[in-house]
This record gives sequence, C-alpha cells and structure tokens, in this order.
Amino acid sequence: MTPKMLLLPILLPAALAVVLLVIPRTLRLVRNALALAGAAVLLYYGFVFFALKDLRFNVPWLGMGIDFDLRLYHFSSFILLALAGFLILITLYSTVKMKDAPRAREFFAYVFLTAAFANGAVLANNFVPLVFFWEGLLVTLYGLITIGGRPTSGRTAVKALLISGFCDFSMILGIGLLWTVSGTLTMSQVSVEPTGLAAVAFVLMMIGAAGKAGAMPFHTWIPDAAVDAPVTFMAFLPAAFEKLLGIYLLARISLDFFKLRPGSGLSVLLMVLGAVTIVLAVLMALVQKDLKRLLSYHAVSQVGYMILGIGTAVPFGIAGGLFHMINHAMYKCGLFLSAGSVEHRTGTTELKKLGGLRKEMPLTAFGFTVCALAISGVWPLNGFVSKEMVFHGALESGYTVFAIAAWVGAIFTFASFLKAGHSVFFGERTREIPAVKESQPAIVVPILVLAALCILFGVYNKLPLTLFIQPILAGHVEAGAHLDFTSHALDIFNPVALISIGCLVLAFLLHRHGFLKSGRKPYLASEPVHNLPVVHKLYDLAEARVFDPYEQGVKVLHGLSLVLYKAVDRPIDFVFEKVVTVAGEKFTAILRKAHNGHYANYLAWCLAGLIIVAGAISLLAK
Amino acid sequence: MIILFVALPLVVAGILPLVGKVSRRVVPDLLANAALLFLLVYAAITGRHLIAGGPVLQQLSWFGEPVAIRLALDGFSLLMLLAIALVGLAACLFSIDYMEHYGAKANYYALFLVMIAGMNGLVLATDLFNVYLFMEVAAVASYALVAFGLGRDELEAAFKYLLLSVVATAFILISVAVIFGMTGSLDFAAVAKALQELNAGAAVGVASAFFLMGFGLKAALIPFHAWLPDAHPSAPAPISAVLSGLLIKVSGVYAMTRIFLNVFGLTPALSTVLMSLGALSMVVAAFLALGQKDMKRMLAYSSISQVGYVVLGIGIGTPLGIAGGLFHLFNHALAKGLLFLTSGSVQQATGTRDLDEMGGLAKRMPITAATNLVGALSIAGVPPLNGFWSKLIIIIALVQSGHPVFAVIAVLTSVLTLWYYLLMQRKAFFGKLNEKWAAVKEAPFWMTAATVFLALLCVGIGILFSSTVTTWIQPAADVLADGVHAVIGSWGF
Repeated sequence: MTPKMLLLPILLPAALAVVLLVIPRTLRLVRNALALAGAAVLLYYGFVFFALKDLRFNVPWLGMGIDFDLRLYHFSSFILLALAGFLILITLYSTVKMKDAPRAREFFAYVFLTAAFANGAVLANNFVPLVFFWEGLLVTLYGLITIGGRPTSGRTAVKALLISGFCDFSMILGIGLLWTVSGTLTMSQVSVEPTGLAAVAFVLMMIGAAGKAGAMPFHTWIPDAAVDAPVTFMAFLPAAFEKLLGIYLLARISLDFFKLRPGSGLSVLLMVLGAVTIVLAVLMALVQKDLKRLLSYHAVSQVGYMILGIGTAVPFGIAGGLFHMINHAMYKCGLFLSAGSVEHRTGTTELKKLGGLRKEMPLTAFGFTVCALAISGVWPLNGFVSKEMVFHGALESGYTVFAIAAWVGAIFTFASFLKAGHSVFFGERTREIPAVKESQPAIVVPILVLAALCILFGVYNKLPLTLFIQPILAGHVEAGAHLDFTSHALDIFNPVALISIGCLVLAFLLHRHGFLKSGRKPYLASEPVHNLPVVHKLYDLAEARVFDPYEQGVKVLHGLSLVLYKAVDRPIDFVFEKVVTVAGEKFTAILRKAHNGHYANYLAWCLAGLIIVAGAISLLAK
Repeated sequence: MIILFVALPLVVAGILPLVGKVSRRVVPDLLANAALLFLLVYAAITGRHLIAGGPVLQQLSWFGEPVAIRLALDGFSLLMLLAIALVGLAACLFSIDYMEHYGAKANYYALFLVMIAGMNGLVLATDLFNVYLFMEVAAVASYALVAFGLGRDELEAAFKYLLLSVVATAFILISVAVIFGMTGSLDFAAVAKALQELNAGAAVGVASAFFLMGFGLKAALIPFHAWLPDAHPSAPAPISAVLSGLLIKVSGVYAMTRIFLNVFGLTPALSTVLMSLGALSMVVAAFLALGQKDMKRMLAYSSISQVGYVVLGIGIGTPLGIAGGLFHLFNHALAKGLLFLTSGSVQQATGTRDLDEMGGLAKRMPITAATNLVGALSIAGVPPLNGFWSKLIIIIALVQSGHPVFAVIAVLTSVLTLWYYLLMQRKAFFGKLNEKWAAVKEAPFWMTAATVFLALLCVGIGILFSSTVTTWIQPAADVLADGVHAVIGSWGF
C-alpha cells in the first residue's frame, strides 16, 4: 500500500462524477451499476484504510508551507469509512428514488463529487487543501438543492450557499489567524493554547465547523431545504455527511489545534451554543406539520448534543459527542430515507394527510420506529448510550444547567417523534391517500441496514466505543486517567439514566394529553404546547422567520441599499441626469441659436477672430 | 519619384472622363481604386526607404530646364501621404457601390483624384506659393464634389463653402505677399533663414495672424468654422469622409503646422494662441455636436472638436505634444473617415440622416453598427482603440509642459465626446427597431468592406500603438520638433 493510494478516495469519485454526468438517460442501468460499483470500491477501501490506520502522502504544492498533504490516521480513517458507508446506502436508495427525477444525471454526479470533496477534506493535513475541499462542497450543496425543482428551490440554494459561505469565510479567517499564531499550516503540527488572538481564531474556526454541522444560528436553510430539495439530499448531506464533517472538524479544533480546557470560557461558549441549539430547535421541531421539516429541525437539534458533548472538554463528554455524531448520522439518515419511502409511495409527507401506514409499509414503519426510538434515546438503542454519555459529561464538567437543557431537549424529542410516528404509521388510516404498497427493496434495504446498525451500536455499544471512539481520544487524556467508557455504568440503573427515563415518560404523558385533548388526532398532539400563551406568539414569529438571521440580514441589507439608493445614488444621478445634461443642453441651445446660417454673420465671426488673434499675438509678443 | 504622388492621380483624373464615355462603371471603378491602391503601397512600403537617409527633394524640370516647383518628402509629409492614401482608398472603395445612383461616376472619380492630387502636392510643397496653389487645386475639386448631388442644399452649402474659403485663401495670399515682400523669397528654407536674420517682429506678427485666420478657416477652428457643418454633411458620404478626415487637416492643420513650426518658428505667443484656439474649438464644438439631430452634422461638429485636440497638441510645441497631436490627426482621419462612411451606409439604407427617425438598425445592419461603434469609441478615446492613446499622449504632454487646466479641459471634452457618440449609437443602432426600417438590409459589399477596413485599422493601431508611433509618428514629430532648423539645415538636393 503506497501513500499514493490516499488519492483514490478523492480521484475515484471525482472521475466517476464526470462519467455519471455524461452517461445518457437511456443507459440508466449502466449508470446505476457504475455508481454502486464505485461506492462499493470506496467502501472496500474504507475498510482497508481503517485497518491500515497510518499513511501519509505529501507533495510540495504552492510553496510557503502550503503542501498537498494527506494524512490517514485513526480519526480520519473512521470518518472515511463512515462516509463510504453512507455513500453506498444513499446511492442504492437513489437508484430507485431518483430514477425519474428530471436532473438525475446531475444528482448522481454531484453526490460523487461531494464524496470526493468530503474525503479530501477529511484526509487533508494542511489547511489550504482543507479549505479547497471544504469550499468545493459549497458548489455541490448549491447544485443538489436546486435539483429539488420547486419554485423556491433556487432561493433556498442561495440561502444555503450564503450561510455556508459565511461560515466558511470565518473559518478561513480563523485559519489565517491560527497560521500567524502557530507559524505552520500543517494540521498535525498545530497545537496552541486558546488565549488572546488564538481564542479569536478558535471562535472563528468553531463558527465554520458548527455552521457546517448546522448548529444554531446557521441552521435556517435546513428546514427550507427539507421542503425544496430532494429528500435523498436531506438524508445525504444535512443528516449524514455535513454532520460527520462539521463535528470531525470541531473535534479536531477542540482536541488538536487548540488545547481546550474543561471549565474554560471557550468550553462554556461551546456548551451554551450546544444547549441553545438543542432546546430551541427541538421546540421548533415539535410543532411542525410536515414530516420532512420536523426531521430537519431535529437534524439541527441533535447537533446541539454533539457540540455540548465536545464542549464539556472532559473525555467522557467528548466521546459522547463523537459517538452521538455517528449515531445521529445513522438514525437521522434512516429517518429521512423512511420519510422518502413514504413520500415515494404516497406522494406527500404532510402529517395530516397520512396515517396507519404500518400495515401497508411494514418494513418502512419498522425502520422508522427503530430510528425514532434511537433518536429519542430509548434504551437499549444507540441514541440512549451516546446521550447518556453527554449527560454524564455535562454533569462532570460541573455545569448542571446544560445537563438540564439536554434533558429538556430529550423530552420534546420523544414527544415530537411520538407525534410523527403516531401520525404517519399508527393511528387510523386516512382516506386521502389511496392504497399503497411497500417500497422497492433498494429503498427499504438502506433503511433496514441503518436501523440494524442503530440496534447493534446500542446493544453492543462496547464494539463501536472501543473500535472507533476510544482511540480518537488517545493522547488527549492525562496519563493514568480513566479511559474505559464501557465500564462507566451505562446500564439503566443509575441516577442519570433514571432521570432520562423519567423524561421519556413525561414526553409520553405530554403526547397522550395532547392526543386526547385534540380529539384523538395525533398530528395535533403538540397543540397544547403550541398554544401556551406567550409561546404561541413566539412560534408565530419564528414561523414568520423573524428569528432567522439570514432573512433579517437580507431585510437589513435591502433597507441599507434602499437608503444608499435614495440618499447617495439618486442625488448623484440627479447631478448627472439633470444638472449636467440640462446645463449642457442649455449651453448647446445658445450655441445653436448663434448658428443661424447667415453668411454675413459667419464672415463677421471670422473677422472678429482675426482681430482677436492679431491682438493676442501682438500683446503676447511683447 | 516623389512626383508620382501628384502626377499619377492627375493623369488618371485626366483619362477618366474620356474612359467614362466608353465604360460607365467598371473601368472607372478599377482605375480610380488602382491608382489609390498604388499610392498607398508606394507611401507605405517605398516611402520609408526614400527618406531613410533624411528628407529627399525633387526638382521638376521642363525639357531639361528647372522650373519653380520643387517637391520634398520628409517624415511629416510621409505620414500625411499615408493618411491620405488610406482614407482615400477606403472612400474610393466605398464609392464603388455608393455612387451608383448619383451617375457620372467617371467625372466623380476624376474630381476625387484631383482633390487627392492637390492634397498630396500640398503635403510635398516646399514653398509658400505652391502651398497656396495646391490648396486651391484641392479646394476647387472639393467645391464641385460638395455640390455633386446638385440638390438645393448641396448647392447652397457648396456656395457658402466657396465664399468662406475664398476669404481664407485671400488672407493666405496676402500673407504670402507680405512674406515675399519682406524676404524676397517664397522657398521655405530661404524664408526661414531670411526671417531669422531680419528680426522683423511686427510684420511677422501680422503675417502670422493672417495665416492663422486663413488656415484656421481651412481647418475649421472656432470661430472660423461656420462653413463646415453645412458643407460636410451635404457632400456624398465618401466625400464627407475625405473632407472631414483629410482635407481640413491637410490644407488647415498641415499647412499651418509646417509654416508655423518649420518656417516661422513657434514663439510662445503663437503657442498660446494655438492652444487657446484648439481648446475653444474642442469644447464649443463638442457642445454643438451634442445638440445635433442630423447624424452627419453631429459628425461634422465632432471633426471641429477633434481638430481642436490636434491643434492643442501641436501647439504645446514639446516633442511629446507634437507627436500626440500628429498621432491624433492620423487616428482621427481614420476614425472620422470610417464614421462618415457608416453614416453614408445608413443614409443609403434608410434615406434619412435624422437620428430621431432611426433606431434599432443594429438588428438589420450588424456590421455597419459594429464598425460605427468602433469609430465612435475610438474618437471618444476608449481603450484600447487608437484614439485613446493619442488623447492620452496629448494629455500627458499637457501635464508635463505645465498646462494642467488644458489637460482637465481635454479630459472633460472627451467625456462630452463619449456622451454624444453614445447618443448617436443608441439612437441610430441600438434600442427597438423602428418599424419603418423592417425591410432595411446590410450595406452592399464594397461599402461594408471599406468600413471594416478602417475599423480594423482603428483596432489594430490601438493594439499596436507603440510600434505605429515609432515607425510613422515619431519621424514626423522629429521634423517638427527640430523647428526651423529642420527646413534650413536639411533640404539637401
């Protein structure tokens, strides 16, 4: 295995993207086979690389310490494997779901291009190639959203591009500052104390990472995209890839580049960001009336747990955050794919129109249920384990308030999934939707694989924790410290777990109350919360996008440009349009009047000119 | 054989009316264009070899006896010959199709060639009387050509042109007489030498004023300009191109420059007067152009304004200023020739010169619209076209020689220039197609070819401006920058 092999995960999908773009529609079978084969090769090499764990490819590139430097080590090989796993599932799913989409060729090309950029970003060991690959993701993000083909898709794509662009811009600024502080661009050599200028660099780079993962307040494009973009895109980017990349970078920032200390200001800042994201996003998720929008708010909310976990800066919390990252990618991907499966057969994801689909689509229902229970943190699924670890970490860091926020989030997460699952798969069958069948195997298999993994990672949590998570923290824990997460009493009989289970019970009661109060209509189960006196007003404002920094920013810019237009541009324009032209025209009119066509007149001018010229020459000559 | 520049067009002009009896179109077309093509090749290729060892002089003789006509070729003359040949050839090519409906093509070509011969002779003349003589040769031909359409306006314009020109030549003749009376000679070198020794300030001042009025009238400097906006638009388009592009420069600017710089010597007083006249023409004519509704009248006023630039540049008297002025003279000859030709295409296609009646012609006449745009932007001084560089050189020279006010005026005038040219381009070619012109077609082949030829030159010189300046402009500017010594010292036999 030569170091050059590290180029394979970048070049293979990039080349495949070009090929997929040119294969005509009629050769759909060839396209699907190629895409699946490519994804399979990537998955195979994902395993190979994971077993290898240590490889470095370094060629000089632009000088000034800017090398094309790729480094495979435990953390990057783990992310690489995860990316490859999601890629093959999404590809398999897309072969059916995107079959008749108008821009299917582009979709496949963008998916593989995204994979190429993502693999490059994960492998990069120099900040400049990292930024290069990171920015490449913006292009495919924009392209994939526009494939949704709805009238507002373009607007949402621009929104996503601008928000992500802003986050990436601050990341680049942060990298620049970090460069001046550390003096090197090689990522594996950077390790600074986050004080002074370095603290600013940390915050800027954190914005970049958290923005990629979709934390508040950089999340507002995700719920819009849930409606405007293809659901496959949601399962692919916001649910899986972007979470993996964003949290990967956030972990690198807080573990490697900066020495984040428990209880430091920056640690608290991260925890606040995480807690706020958890609570606010889940409250928005609770009242959604569309399955895809509901899931998208959860995709935001769950990022909060990861950021909170990493922000605690204690090994247990960090491990919890990272474990939550991989868990979330699995069940959220599974959830979006289930939503897509429902949409595929019924043509809608509105909760009101759906109901009782468990009999007709039992496998989708099963997958959805497992994933929903996992995201809600029900024992013994994977979500339970990682959330417990985050709770423990938060408590260990000494800030109980963040643990409480995380628990509040857990209540509403379960409540909203009770509502969603109840509305779609359980309850009474609505008449609006004609009889449907279970989706094709290519759609169901990825969902079931993800559900099975959720169960596996929950029940045998020792396996992923020792295999994937624990080695990441190696070298970051003080010598002699306790590093055995698996023995950390992750069973249900400890106070923390009991509180969590209490939260779930509370959520069940909340749902039951709402369900009964709304006349046994599950999609209205969240109305009691929705209709609380002050809360209702806030929800209305939120729905009107008052709290969306992007929309408000756009309004402010519109206002600013209007002011500039009226106060600066128009007056200047007036000077040119009216003052100058009118003066010019007046002057011209006077001159034209003088040219009346009389020969004598003209001759007189000539003679007058002669006299003046002669006078001037004689005067000046003296 | 410098004499060929004068003799060839004169001889062909003499043959043409006879040939016209036999072949009404093809042979006159061929003969006239061949003559001009020969002049172009001769000037462009042979000319530089002729003057490689300094200016050359040719004494004409009649049966072995020398007569009082001597022709001399130096860098300045050669530049003018090249400009005359280029614009003359373009106008002549344009005439192949354009003059079809005027009839009497052979006579037209004959007059055209007489005018060319007159201009070439003026450029090569070495004494004051020959300047007057050749100026009248060219002028008489041009009176006839302005009136060639024989309509009421044409005749009136030609008459007005004639009457004001006569005033001009009268004053020039008086001035020549004054000089002859003082120095007893008409030859440039002899006059220059005598004047240096005489030190007769007042008489030279009077002669200068008379020359300035006479040549100012010919060059249409304000306030001596009033004939031009009537005369130039009335002529057939190729004649307008030659009048505006060449005649006012040869019989006005060239003669003035040659006499003031090489014979009288440029005094500071004269320099100030020239620059003031140039600046005045530049600004006032630009405003007047802005107010025109008639495409060709707008172009005519623009010519006055641009001649102002040339005079301003030459009037500075520094080597860079002279080079800038001459370069602008050359560029303006090409661009203004081009614009009058395109206006001729438009007039022939639509039958009108009124800008308000046109509109959207670019859709029907794309090549004409494009070439017109090139010419307009070139004169307005938009990089990288040739007009930009010459204006830039003039402005740099103004700043270097300590005339920042004139420099600012020059810059502002070029804004005005851009303003009225964009107005013209928009009203005539852009915007919605006037329904009246739905059936209009692109101009015939030779007309389009002539405009494309000039447009390519404008672009090419703009891109290769530095080599153009070193090959053609600098030798001319050197002759002028040497001042009186260039004439006294180097008229070698």
